[in-house]
Amino acid sequence: MKNVLYTLFAISISLLLGKLANHLLAGLPASLYGMVIYAIFLQLNWFSAKKVSTTNQWLVRHMGVCFVPAGVGIINHFQLIQNHGIALIFIIFSSTFILLTVIGFLSERFLIRSIPADESLSDQAKL
Amino acid sequence: MINSFLINSPILASFIITMITVATYQLSARLQQKWQSIWLNPMLITITILVPLLLLVDIDYQEYSKTTQLLNLLLEPAIVALGFPLYQQLRQIKFHWREIMSILALGIAAVISVSFIMAMILIKAPEIAIALSLKSVTTPIGITLTEQLSGDSSITAFAIMVAGLFGGLLGPAWLEFIGVKSAKAQGLAIGSASHVIGTAIMVRVSAEHGAYSSVSLILSALLTALISPWLIPLLQQLFS
Repeated sequence: MKNVLYTLFAISISLLLGKLANHLLAGLPASLYGMVIYAIFLQLNWFSAKKVSTTNQWLVRHMGVCFVPAGVGIINHFQLIQNHGIALIFIIFSSTFILLTVIGFLSERFLIRSIPADESLSDQAKL
Repeated sequence: MINSFLINSPILASFIITMITVATYQLSARLQQKWQSIWLNPMLITITILVPLLLLVDIDYQEYSKTTQLLNLLLEPAIVALGFPLYQQLRQIKFHWREIMSILALGIAAVISVSFIMAMILIKAPEIAIALSLKSVTTPIGITLTEQLSGDSSITAFAIMVAGLFGGLLGPAWLEFIGVKSAKAQGLAIGSASHVIGTAIMVRVSAEHGAYSSVSLILSALLTALISPWLIPLLQQLFS
């Protein structure tokens, strides 16, 4: 329980600083600034990675539910789909897959320079 | 009848609708764990159940969105929590940052151009072409950029959602199919094409997938904000 509160506290502080960064610098949304700040604080050991680990894993596993209300927003766009029909969906689909392919291929090809121990570990995990 | 219930007892209604959302999500998460099918993705299932349900009982989206504010409130902290897998892979990512930046910049320039040109050929409306070319970023950024470039931001919001869900669901299988198998490459690709929604799916695969997807999501947002204001006007000249 103590660790749960600690994690929520750490995340709230990061989010608040994220809001401040968003206010001062604009650019990224507050939550993305918050994510970077949280990672940096963990790296600097200002927040203990050990204490946040369990609660954080739970949060991240279940975060999808928070996107449901936004997803249900598709309901507002039925008119849009009727107006532009298949073309709209086709463009979204194909350009998304082009992007996946370009970045996937290039990363697979050019991110081979890696720390050996980690690489063998992730390969084993796949088998 | 249902609408008057929503207005007369908003707290109870809010509680019930949020519970229905969470329960459907939990149930489909269980089912997915059992059968391991990508189509049982809890986000997808919950949305496909809720949309007809809301239409059936005649609750409009404004009402639904108001009653599920609790979930919206949790969205930002949940995104911040992605900082943890990011921290776990920070050493690796720092090691590769030059390659990652160049690959993402290239991919983003390509996707903006391809979407814009396809939309100009098929739909022939610049405000839609602008909206569609800015769909591979997280929603607040996509909408802001679209409005800055005078595109139609309701189309951006829709396109971002569709790109997020379908890239996140079908992306991993597609990448495996074309031989892109490393966690790094899969994470970077999905994070860039399907932003936070794809990342929410990736963190369930492995921490490494989640970390690379998170970093890709952030950098893609930044790079799109940098690239689109000069690339899109350039593309517009091509069609004028």
